Amino acid sequence: MSFASIYKVLFKRNSIFVGTVFVGAFLFQTEFDSAITKWYENRNKGKLWKDVKARIGSNGAEDDDE
Amino acid sequence: MLSNLIRSPITVRTLAKPVAITCAKLSTTQLINKSTYRTPDFDDVLKKDRNMDKSRVFSYFMVGSMGLLSSAGAKSTVETFLSSMSASADVLAMAKVEVSLANIPLGKNVVVKWQGKPVFIRHRTPHEIQEANEVDMSALKDPQTDADRVQNPEWLIMLGICTHLGCVPIGESGDFGGWFCPCHGSHYDISGRIRKGPAPLNLEIPKYEFAEDKVVVG
Repeated sequence: MSFASIYKVLFKRNSIFVGTVFVGAFLFQTEFDSAITKWYENRNKGKLWKDVKARIGSNGAEDDDE
Repeated sequence: MLSNLIRSPITVRTLAKPVAITCAKLSTTQLINKSTYRTPDFDDVLKKDRNMDKSRVFSYFMVGSMGLLSSAGAKSTVETFLSSMSASADVLAMAKVEVSLANIPLGKNVVVKWQGKPVFIRHRTPHEIQEANEVDMSALKDPQTDADRVQNPEWLIMLGICTHLGCVPIGESGDFGGWFCPCHGSHYDISGRIRKGPAPLNLEIPKYEFAEDKVVVG
C-alpha cells in the first residue's frame, strides 16, 4: 500500500479519520489494560492471592470461616 | 528678506501637503510590498521530484495517534468518575440474600432480613393455594390475583412491612388465615393481600428469583 493510498483511505475524509481514532482508542484501551495486567502479574508472580491460595491448598479452605 | 518672510509660510504650506499624503500611504503592507528582501532560492539543494505523500501520511498519523491516546485517557477519566458513583462491592453483596428453600417445611413461615427489612417466605400448602385463588376480586381493597403475586404458587415471598405505617405483621393469625398487623389491626390473607383494617395496599413483593432449591431475593 503506497503512502498516497493510505492517505486516500484513512485521512482524506475527516469522518473516517476521527472514527478510526475513536475505534482505535477503544481497542487500544482494552489491549493496553490487558498488557499492563499481564506484566504486573508476571512481575509479582508468587505474591498474588491466586498463587498464595494454590499454595495454602486444602487447609486454607478450613480457615475461611474464621 | 522681507519677501522671504512673507513667502516662508507659503513654502511650508506647499511642503506640508505632500508630506502628509506620503505619511498616510506608509502602511505596513505597503512597506512590505516595497521590501527588497527575497527568499533565498533553495532549488538547487531540493530534490527534483519531491514526493510529499510519506511526510503527509506521517503527520496525519502522528495527529491521529495523539488523538487516540488523549481520547483513551479522557474515556478512562470519565469512567473513573462514573464508577465512583456506582455502588461498591460490599453494598452490592448486601443487596441480595440467598435462602435455601429445602429447609422450610410445608405450611411454615420463615422471616429473613434483606436490606434491613424483613422478608416473609411461606411454603404454602395446596389447600392454602386453593384458598388464595378462590378469593373474589370484588372483595379486595387492592385487587390483585394470586398468580400476579407469586412466581411459584408453592412459595409466597413478600416484604414483611405493613403498608399502613410500617409495622411487621404477625404470621398465621388474623381473620383471613394470613398475617395480622398488631399496630392498627390490618388483616392480610394467605396471599398477603389486605382484607380488613387501615392498610391501603397488599404486602409488597420484592424482586426474587429461584435458583435450584434456593431463592435469591434482591
